Order: sequence, then structure tokens, then C-alpha cells
Amino acid sequence: MPNPRKPERSVVTTCAYCGVGCGFKAETIGGRVVRMIPWKEGKANHGHSCVKGRFAFDYYDHPDRVRKPMVRNRIDEPWREVTWDEAFAHAAAELKRIQATYGSGSVGAVSSSRCTNEEIFLMQKFARVGLRNNNIDNCSRICHSPTQFGLSATLGAGAASQHFDSILQADVILVAGANPTEGHPVFGSLMKRRIREGARLLVIDPRRTETADSPHCRADVHLALRPGTNVAVLDSMAHVIVRERLYDEAFIRARCHWSEFEQWMQLVGDARYAPETVGPEAGLDPEDIRRAARIYAKGPRSTIYYGLGVTEHSQGSTGVMCLGNLALACGMLGREGVGVNPLRGQGNVQGGSCLGSWPHMFTGYRFVTDEAVRKSFEADWKIALDPEPGLRLPNMFDAAVAGTFKAIYIQGEDPVQSDPNQNHIVAAMRSMECVIVQDLYLTETAKFAHVFLPGSSSLEKNGTFTNAERRVSMVRKVVEPLAGLEDWQITVRMINAMGYPLHYDHPSQILDEVARLSPAYQGMSFPLIERLGSVQWPCNADAPEGTEVLHEKQFPRGRANFMLTQYVPTTERTDDRFPLLLTTGRILSQYNVGTQTRRTGNVAWYAEDVLDLHRSDAEARGIQDGDQVTVTSRYGETKLRARISEKMNPGVVYTTFHFAQSKANAVTSDLSDWATNCPEYKVTAVEVAKVPARTEAPQRVPAEAKS
Amino acid sequence: MWSELRRLRDDVDYGTPPRDGAPVSLTVDGVPVTVPAGSSVMLAATSCRKSVPKLCATDTLEAFGSCRVCLVEIEGRRGFPAACTTPVEAGMVVRTQSPRLQELRKGVMELYLSDFPASEVPGGWSELHEVMAATGVTTSPYPTGQNHLDAPVDESNPYFLFDPAKCIVCSRCVRACEEVQGTFALTVAGRGFQSKIVASQGERFLDSECVSCGACVQACPTHSLVEKSLFEGGYHRAQPPQA
Amino acid sequence: MSHGAAPGSGAQSNRPVIELARLIEMANQIGDFFAPYPAGPREEGVRNHLRNYWDPRMRAALLAHVHAGGAGLHPHVRAGALLLLESGRERTAYAGPPKA
Repeated sequence: MPNPRKPERSVVTTCAYCGVGCGFKAETIGGRVVRMIPWKEGKANHGHSCVKGRFAFDYYDHPDRVRKPMVRNRIDEPWREVTWDEAFAHAAAELKRIQATYGSGSVGAVSSSRCTNEEIFLMQKFARVGLRNNNIDNCSRICHSPTQFGLSATLGAGAASQHFDSILQADVILVAGANPTEGHPVFGSLMKRRIREGARLLVIDPRRTETADSPHCRADVHLALRPGTNVAVLDSMAHVIVRERLYDEAFIRARCHWSEFEQWMQLVGDARYAPETVGPEAGLDPEDIRRAARIYAKGPRSTIYYGLGVTEHSQGSTGVMCLGNLALACGMLGREGVGVNPLRGQGNVQGGSCLGSWPHMFTGYRFVTDEAVRKSFEADWKIALDPEPGLRLPNMFDAAVAGTFKAIYIQGEDPVQSDPNQNHIVAAMRSMECVIVQDLYLTETAKFAHVFLPGSSSLEKNGTFTNAERRVSMVRKVVEPLAGLEDWQITVRMINAMGYPLHYDHPSQILDEVARLSPAYQGMSFPLIERLGSVQWPCNADAPEGTEVLHEKQFPRGRANFMLTQYVPTTERTDDRFPLLLTTGRILSQYNVGTQTRRTGNVAWYAEDVLDLHRSDAEARGIQDGDQVTVTSRYGETKLRARISEKMNPGVVYTTFHFAQSKANAVTSDLSDWATNCPEYKVTAVEVAKVPARTEAPQRVPAEAKS
Repeated sequence: MWSELRRLRDDVDYGTPPRDGAPVSLTVDGVPVTVPAGSSVMLAATSCRKSVPKLCATDTLEAFGSCRVCLVEIEGRRGFPAACTTPVEAGMVVRTQSPRLQELRKGVMELYLSDFPASEVPGGWSELHEVMAATGVTTSPYPTGQNHLDAPVDESNPYFLFDPAKCIVCSRCVRACEEVQGTFALTVAGRGFQSKIVASQGERFLDSECVSCGACVQACPTHSLVEKSLFEGGYHRAQPPQA
Repeated sequence: MSHGAAPGSGAQSNRPVIELARLIEMANQIGDFFAPYPAGPREEGVRNHLRNYWDPRMRAALLAHVHAGGAGLHPHVRAGALLLLESGRERTAYAGPPKA
């Protein structure tokens, strides 16, 4: 009877799934990964893990992996395998032809949050020196771009102010629009540990999630608000805080601008934001709003953790500013156990933000329009750079539909499945002349591609990831890249093919370049990260080993700013035709669009997306648990299996987006955040109807069944 | 407590969680060692390389004291306290090895091995095998009696399995699910000889509240909970001995 | 600094880069955020946002619409867009939040 085989080799690396960024040891037998075991010295996870990082790694050598570059002239032709050189030459020739025909701004690129910092840096460099424009974006556009905007506007830094362990010192934990127990499980476990020790929990979420209610972890106040009313509710909490004088005047006078605070006080103190007014609008008991506000303000150490339930709204950036304003008003910044912390979703989406994969910003969150910054890049790269902001990803699709955007180089993203208003995206893809996709498998987006560059998983390359704590950790190569090139090598060759000579021996040189060009990463280097295990930026002369807690003495602009956050209801409204509100989210075992996790054993828990609806909404429509239903919005339609759930209020339905066939995004709207175009995934007016069963009595006329 | 997690090391298992606290000095087998107040004797012993064998203790979980393997002698105290549940005190004099301690550990190990598949003893590399090596005990003198060697294996989870034949009910899995993960999916059902680890209300792992985080698998000292990927071509459990 | 053509050049298409209705919608949304600010900072906020975050063709299309009457745009959005044309401001691409 065989004992378990003992692994031969063990390599410490970082998980590529979510923004917790757990440290793992990848163990191999005979050159194949057989086990991922948590690394006890990982500062983000301290030896813990979740089902995805721990077990769902088989995707990396799944039979669906594409191992050879492919091209085709039209998307209705079959793919043709080619050599790497042929693929690069073809892609570059097409991009140049298209720019000559339609203009420099007719092409763009998108980097991947599942790729390393070094690779993301190279993608934005590709756009800037290869395409000679700023049409470069990253997927945080569709999730946390409002965090970048809103926290920069208020606090001066668009990133989490604390490290995860800080929650162990919190007295009050406010979780808004996030479900850490499912979305950031290892952090969720740490949070639950603290709650078992007695910390109080406030949850703002339309659903009674596992975070709000699970063994030994129940929210003291759960504001199950109507989707779309975040800003009203947060301003209402602020109303209570200013009217009952619960704010921290000493902090505000020392660290903010009193005149701005007074302006803000006037706005939120208005009767319009009183709990008695906002409560009914948001479907809440006014007393609950008051209780939440008082508990938060009292602290003494109150911390905020928030997610896409705040950002993915037409007032996403405003919602983030509301959180910043609350923390400033109550003095909950600059020490342990407090802060404002976005739960970044993907393994390296924070890196995407930091490394300048933006149409309007260079590495280090500095504007493209800032001449001094641009000149520093021009000097280092020895090339003139476009001084104007470029197109954001949603605007690239708009421009494609309008006929002015014709080519795109997409690394490790699947917009056809993950971006909203799928019909619009598909129309955009069809209208482009050259779509270059760099990925592990043939994704939904690859169906519209003309060039396919087989990429490498995080087990197949060296580099760094930045997690939601600003923590930069090593990603180490465990196996050789299955297609022969690491992702960063592919982008270097693309840059070369566009006519800009570039060479790196090792990704550490790329990080050195980032350090040269980005103040917050100035002290970063592979040797430093190797020595310390991981480093939280800012890492510079003032903080040579990184910074755990931000804003201790000063905010990046000196003082922080209160922003005026007026509530503007979304134009996505329910009416008689579409009386329900659809909101979306994630579950534990599947990751985002399921590209990786659908190809692992995780389908045992969740093999399809389902639509959760409240019993009363189901009964009114003759829907029973397990029925097939159509979900229709003003934008499109899809079919899902229904599940009766008590976790939402009547009027709200919920689904996930992990499976391509469920086409959740065929239904979502094209509305987006005013500042960043982050899509409003969280609020779509829909109607749900039962799909008639086919095994009905023979007299039934099929034509009537269609609607 | 909050900074204690950061003291965990990957190459050392202290046995009980590292603590923050004022320094306390003691000696273990004649070697002086200083550890923070609140640390266990086991942690102090490990810190000065005088490790005590252990089965139910690991430094990501609070001490439990059920396996009775880590017994030590403390000068001025009667009996043989468990090193994991005994907090250090200034000036303590601890002995981790003695003929009597060896006898006691041997007795405990022989009892464990009386209900463990003999064919899985050679070639294994679990913590239990390490303790077998440390105590020099690889067989049990007891005749085959009642045992759990044919308890059914739960292979419902796609990634790991649970073979109760190898389980010593140390409850590290239960505690990992509580303290580390916070899901509370596992428990010890029954009493005495009938004690067994169950998921939820005695369901299969896949049907229970288990979220498959793997903390229990990592915590298990006997490879009773173990990754399927470490077996080539399926899991073949040991045949129970003919009575 | 001589790698290929200068950036931003190439044959220009004279199709609108993005549908006008969408540009108006986006611009008004920006205006809605800055509405509670006092006059002055309010228009400045709109101008700064357009300057730093909008592709120049999008800005040009919006300005063309403003010159043609600006139907559908909130008044302070029109005023903010026109600030883009004031020459002094081009040099200081102010990036911070509007001062209350």
C-alpha cells in the first residue's frame, strides 16, 4: 500500500489568484507540480490558504493549454500554427499598417492583472514606445479604478492604508460591498479571528453574505441597502456623525483643511441625507443607519474594508470618496487597526495600477500630461512620448464600434466574458482588423482574435506581484514555460518587432527600471525582496524596508481633502418592464471568469452560474427552485437556473459570472462610473421569467411559449 | 497577539504559537534559553534545539494537550506535565529526556500503533513517522483487538481524502478549521474508543460546510488527511489484518 | 529621439472617435459630481477632469459640440469645457481635487 509520494523540490512563490497574494511552496515530483502548500512566512497569509491557491493549480497543464503561436487572416478561418518569429512579424506588420491607415490612436493594448509587475510595466512600455500612444489600460478599469481615483482625491494615495494584520487591532470593522469570506478567504479568516475576539462588525451589502452571517461571525449592523444607494447611505452615516458631533475635530484641524470640512459638513448635514429620508429610499431602517454611524465613529479603532460593491457603480468614485471622508472625519487613519482598505481582486491588479498601465498615468501614479514626469521617461527611454491621455478600455470599444479603433493587443484578459454589455463588446471586436491575444487558452475573446500568442502561467516565470496590502512578493519559476517563452519575453519581442530595440537578461532588471522611474518603488529590487521575503511600498530613502501603515505623519499631499459627495441616483431604473434589480458577485471556488478554475476540480462545488431570487419574487412569477429562467434587461438576455434564496430582500436578484455559457454580461448595462468608466455591474434593472418546460401536454402551441 | 503570527518560521515548528511578551529565562536540558512570557515549555525547548516529540501540537494552533507524547520533567513539580500546555516561568529547569519519559512515550506510541495500519509504517514520512523514529517505536506489542482499520475512506472532495484508519484523533484538523479558517466544519463525534473526526453532521466532506481550504490537510500529522495528488493512480488503503 | 514617426501622427479619420450622445452623457456625469462645488471651482473641476482623463479627440469632439450650441450639456459643463481653450491653463495640468 503506497504511502504518499514525497515531493522532490519545493519553490517558494506567490499565488496568482486573488489580491491576498498568499505565499506558497510549489512542490514538484518529476518536474510536475503536485502540491501547493502554504508558506508559513508569507506575511499576507501566515501559512493559510484557500481552495483555489491550495488545490486548483491543475489548470496550468490542462490539455486546453495552447502551446504554439497561431495566426489567421479572418476570424472565420481556422487557426494556423506558426513560429514565434512569424507571429511577431505578422502582428507588428498589421499594427503598423493599421496605424498608417487609420491614425496613431487607432490601436491600443491591455495588460493583465494575472501577470507580473515586470510584465505589466512592459505592456505599458509597449504602448508608449511601440505604438507611440497612451492607449494602454488594465483590468482594474472594470473593478477598482474608482479606488485609484477616489482615494487619491481624498487621502492622496489610491491604495490600502494598512496591512492585513492591522485588522487584528481593530475594534470596529466596516465591510462595504465586499464578501471577504468568499472573495478574499484567507483575509476573511483573519477578520473572523478578530471578531471572535470581540471586535464589532458592520456590513453594507444588499445580501446577507457569509461575511455578514456565519458561525461565530455575525454583523452587529447589516445595512442590506437597495443596489445603487451607496452614496446616499454613506452620506447619511456622515449626516449622523456631523449632526451628533461625533467627528474628531483635533484630527481634522491637524491633518485636513477645516474649510473643506465645513463645506462637506454643510452638504451631508442637510436634511436630504437624514436617515429618515435616506432609509426609505435605500430600504433601510433609519435607526440602523444611526447605529452603524455611531459604532463606527466611536471606535476607538475603526477600519474599513471595501470591494466592488462600492466601486462598480455609476457613482463608484464618489462612493470611495465617501469612505475616505468618513475615515477622515473620525480620525481613523495613520495608525494600526484603522484605515481605508480596498480589497483588490486579482493577484496583481494593484501592480497594474502602480506600474502605470493607464491611459492617463505613467508608473507611479503620475499624469501623462505632467511635462516634468514625461520628460524623465523620455530621457530614460530615449524616445519622444505622446503628451495626451489615451483611450480607456471601454472607450476603445466605443471607438471600435464607431470605426476609429482597429487593433488591440490583449494580454491575459477576457473582455468578451468579463466586460459589461457583451453585445456591444462583440460588435467592437468584430469591427477590428487585428486582435492579438496573449493567453493560456482560447478564451471567449480569442474567438475574435487574429493572432494568438501562448502565454505562461505564474508557475512558469520569474517576477513580482503586488497584493492588496501594497506588498511586493516574489513569483518564482517552478517549471519551464510550456510554450517556450515567459510572458515578459513575449512582450519584449513585440516591442522589438515594432522597431524599438530592447533587451533584458532577467526580470530583475525590469524591476530596477521601475525603481528608477517610480518614487514609491525606488528602493525595490529583487535582492531586497529576497532578503525580506516581501516589501510594502513606498520603499525609498525614508523607508528603506518598505512601509506598513500609510499616512502616519503626513498624507502624500501634506493634508488630506474632503470631497463633496452629492448623491446622484443612477439612470438605471426599475420600471414595469424591468422591476427587479440584478447585482453580481463571486463565490469561493471559482475565480473571476473561470478561465483557470473551470479547468480544475473546483467545478465539483459550482458547475454553473445560478440566479438567486427571493421567495416572494419567485412565487409571483411561478418560478420554483431549479427552474430554467430567462433574465432580460434593456441590453440583452440570458438563461440561468433559478435558486430560491433568503439572502436578499425582495426586489433584488443575484448571480455570478464564472461561466461563459451563462453570459451574465449579456445583461449588464453600459452605464459606468463618472470618473473612470468603471462599469456599473452592480445595478441592472431586469425581469425574470420562467422558461416553459418542453415536456408539456401535446396541445401546447410552441409559438406561444416564445416571448 | 497580532504581531505573533509574523514570528512563524517555515523551517521550524515551535509546537505552540509564538507570543509577544517580556523575556523569561529558563533552562532546558541544561541549556539556557530566553523566550517571551506566555510561550510554552515546548516552544522554549524547540528554540534551543532540544525539541520534544509531539503529535497534537503545531505552532499555528493553540495548545491542546491530548496526545501525551510531549511529556517532560520539571524540577520541583510532580508528575510529567505536557510541554505544550505548560507556560514558561523564570528559572524553570526542564528535562526533556529521561528513562522514565522514554518509557512513557513508548507506552503512548505503542497504543497509537495498535490502531494504525502496520503496512503503512515503513516508507512513510508524516510527523507520526518522525515521532516513531525519535522514540524508536515502530511496532505495537498488543494482539490485534478492536480497531478502526476498516473505517470507510472519504474520497468525496476532489483534492484530498480522509482515511480514518490512520487517524489518531489528535483533533488538529478540528482546531485548524476553527482557529485558522473559522468555518467550524469539523468536530470529534463520540467518546472514548468511539471518538472519530466527522465533517458537519457526519456527512461526507464534499456535502458538509467544508470550504476545502486545506488547513486540516496541512495540520494532519499522520497523512490521514492527505492530498490525492501525492498518490499515483488512486488511493489504495491498507488491508485490515485478519482477526 | 528618432524612433519612427512622431507620436500622435498618422492619417486621421474624420469619423467621430466615439458617438456624440455618449460623450454628452459622460460629460454630464462629470458635471453632476462637481455640481455642489461653488461656481469657479466647479467649472475648474470639469476642465481638469477633461484635460487629464479624456483622449484629445474626445475633447475636440465635445468642444465642437459646445461651439455648435452644446445642446444637452449642463451649463457648467459647457463652461468647464470652454476653459480648456484658455491658453494659460494648458501649461499647468493641475491634477488635484478641486479646492472647496
